[in-house]
Amino acid sequence: MTANSSVDILLVEDNPDDLELTLHALRREHLANNIFTVRDGEEAIDFLFCSGNFKDRSFDHPPRVVLLDLKLPKLNGLEVLKRLKDDPRTRSVPVVILTSSKEESDLVASYNLGANSYVQKPVDFDRFRDIVKNTGLYWMVTNQRPLANPAQAAKAAGKP
Amino acid sequence: MTGPLTNVSGSGHLRLLIIEDVPSDAEIEIAELRHKGFEVAADVVDSEDSVRERLAHTKYDAILADYSLPSFRGMETIGILRQLNLDTPMILVTGALSSETAVECLKQGATDYVLKDHLARLPVAVRRALDETRLRQERARAQQQLAEKVEELARSNCDLEQFAYVASHDLQEPLRMVAAYTQLLAERYRGKLDETADRYIGYAVEGATRMQGLLEDLLAFSRVGRNGDSHVLIDLNVVVEEAIKNLTIALRDQGVIVTRNPLPTIHADHFQLVQLFQNLIANAVKFRGKVIPRISISAERDGEDWAFSVSDNGIGIAPEHKDLIFKIFQRLHTRAEYPGNGVGLAICKKIVEHHGGRIWVESELGRGSTFRFTFPAAAADRADKKEQAHELYAQNSAGR
Amino acid sequence: MSSTHRILLVDDNPADANLTSEVLATSERPAQVNTVEDGEQALQFLHRTGKYAEATRPDLIILDLNLPRKDGRAVLAEVKADPELNELPVVIFTTSHSPRDVARCYELGANSYVSKPGNLGQFFSAVRSIENFWFGFASLPN
Repeated sequence: MTANSSVDILLVEDNPDDLELTLHALRREHLANNIFTVRDGEEAIDFLFCSGNFKDRSFDHPPRVVLLDLKLPKLNGLEVLKRLKDDPRTRSVPVVILTSSKEESDLVASYNLGANSYVQKPVDFDRFRDIVKNTGLYWMVTNQRPLANPAQAAKAAGKP
Repeated sequence: MTGPLTNVSGSGHLRLLIIEDVPSDAEIEIAELRHKGFEVAADVVDSEDSVRERLAHTKYDAILADYSLPSFRGMETIGILRQLNLDTPMILVTGALSSETAVECLKQGATDYVLKDHLARLPVAVRRALDETRLRQERARAQQQLAEKVEELARSNCDLEQFAYVASHDLQEPLRMVAAYTQLLAERYRGKLDETADRYIGYAVEGATRMQGLLEDLLAFSRVGRNGDSHVLIDLNVVVEEAIKNLTIALRDQGVIVTRNPLPTIHADHFQLVQLFQNLIANAVKFRGKVIPRISISAERDGEDWAFSVSDNGIGIAPEHKDLIFKIFQRLHTRAEYPGNGVGLAICKKIVEHHGGRIWVESELGRGSTFRFTFPAAAADRADKKEQAHELYAQNSAGR
Repeated sequence: MSSTHRILLVDDNPADANLTSEVLATSERPAQVNTVEDGEQALQFLHRTGKYAEATRPDLIILDLNLPRKDGRAVLAEVKADPELNELPVVIFTTSHSPRDVARCYELGANSYVSKPGNLGQFFSAVRSIENFWFGFASLPN
C-alpha cells in the first residue's frame, strides 16, 4: 500500500511493542482496511501536511482518525496535536490521544488543544486489546467523519 | 388559404413600400404586380426620413427599392430594417446593375434584384420573397416554441425533484417518532394488554416501518441526478467489482456465480453506475429460480453506443410486464413472495436515461432475464445538454 | 474520575430525549442525565446562571443541532471558544446527515459527530456506543 492511497487510521507510535499490539488488535476486529504507521512526530506532521516523504498525499484524503501517542521522538505528541488543530486544513481530522501517560496535565492539555478524545493505554494485555477494539469501533463505525472533498460530500449526500 | 399570390399572412393583399423617386416607375411596378394577380396597396417614398417614418409605423409585406435615389441609396434601407428589427424582404428594382454589384447587394441583405427593363420578373421575385419570409418566420416560431417547451420541462422536472426530495426528507422525522414509539409499545407492552391490542400495535408498527422504507426508497430515487453528477472517466470493471463487493453477503449466502467479460471505460457518474449494477445484480439474486443463480455481465460496442447486458437464470418476466417493472413502486409479486418496494429498476431507468441511454429487458417466464442498457460512448455530451437546460431555467428564474 | 457520570443532553424533541435518557440511565455505569430543550438553556446550565445556578458541570455534552432559541452550532461554537468550557467533550447527536453540517461541526471543534439512526434498534445502539466509549474507555477531564 502506498502512502497515497486512502488511509483509515494513522497510527503514530514509536514503541514497537505497543505498535505491534495495537495493529494486532485493530486487524483482528477488521476495523480498518488501511492502517498507516509513523514512528515519530515529524513523520506524523509530514504525513498529515502532505510534505517531505509524503509530498504526494492530498489534503482531500485525510485519514479517518489519527491515533496519537504523546511520547514521541523528534516532535512530541502535544506539539503534533497543536499544529494539527491550529491549521484549518487539518483541524477537522479526528485525533484520539492513545497514551500510557496518567498525568492529569497531559489529559487537560490534550483536550484544551482540541484532541477529539483521550484514551489511556493500560498495562494489562487483554485490557489493552479491549481498549483498542472499542476505540477503533467507535471512531470507525459510530462516529461520522468529516468529508473534506466536495465530491465525496456530494456522493455521501446521494447515498441512500 | 396560402398560395402563390398571397402575402406572408396568407391573404392576396400586398402591402408594399416602394422607395422610388420617379413616380411613373413606381406606377409601372404596381401595375405589373396587379396584372399578375396581386392586390397592391403601396406607399411611395423617396427619402431616408420618410423611409424610417413609414417603416416605424406600418407593417409591410415587402419593399421595392431603387438602387440610387438623389438623396438616398436604396441599400441603406437594409441598415434601417436591421435597426428596427424588421424581417421585411427588400427587392432592388433598378436600372442597369453590374453583376458584381448585384451579388454584393444580395450578400448585404437584399432579397433579390429586378432590372427595370425586365419588370416581367417582378411578380415572380415578389412571390418568392414572400414564400421565403413566411417559411423563415414559421421555422423561427417553431424553434421558439421548442425552446420554451424545453425550459418548461426543465423547470417542471426541477420542481418535481425538489418536491420529491423535500417531501420525503421532511416526512422522515415525524415518521421516525411514530415508528420508534410503536415499536417500543410493541416490545414493552406485549402480553400486558389484550390480544387485540397486540395485533393493532403490530399493524401500526408494520405500517410505520413500511412507510419508512418507502420514503427511503423515494429519497434514493429523487436523489439520482439531484446533486450535480460528476461525469468522469470510469472503469466499469472497477464499478462492477464495487457493486459485487456491496452484495458480498447475499451473493455468498445464495451461492451465486457471477461471470463477466471485460467492460469498457466510459464517461459517467461513478456512484450512480455502482447503484445501477448493484440493483440489477441484487434483483437477479432476489428473483432466482430453483437452480443455482448464474449472472453474467457483458458489453459490446454498438455503433455510437456501448450496449451492456446483465443476464440471469432466474424466474423471468412475462411479456406484458416488461415495461411495467421499470415504473416506480410497481411490484409484480406480493410482499410475502418477494420483499422490496419496487424502486430498484425505476432507479436503474432513471440513471440510464440520465446518461442518455435506454434500458429494457428480454425475458421469458421461467427462463431467466437479460437486462440490456445502452450508454452513448460520448456520454459527456448528454450531461452538458441537461446542464444547459438547467442553467436556462436558473438564469430565467434569477431574472424574475 | 467521579463514579457517577454526568451528562448534559441538549435536544428539543422530547421523544428523542426520552429514548436517549432511557438508554443512558440503563447502562451498567451510573449516569445522571440533565436534559435541556434549547441552546440558551444549555449555555445557562453550563455557565451555572439563572435557574441553573446549582447545576453541576457535566462530564459529557450530547448536543442536537436544530434547536430553538439558540441552535446547536451556536452552542458548540460558544463552548469551544470559552476557555472555561472548551475542554468539555461535545458529541453532536442529530438527525442531520448533511455533510456540510458534519464539516462545520468539526471545524467548530466538535469532538465527535453521530447521526441519529431512523431505526429504533440502531438508535439504541448508537446511544449505547456513545455511552460505552466515552465512559467506558475514554478518559475525561474532571
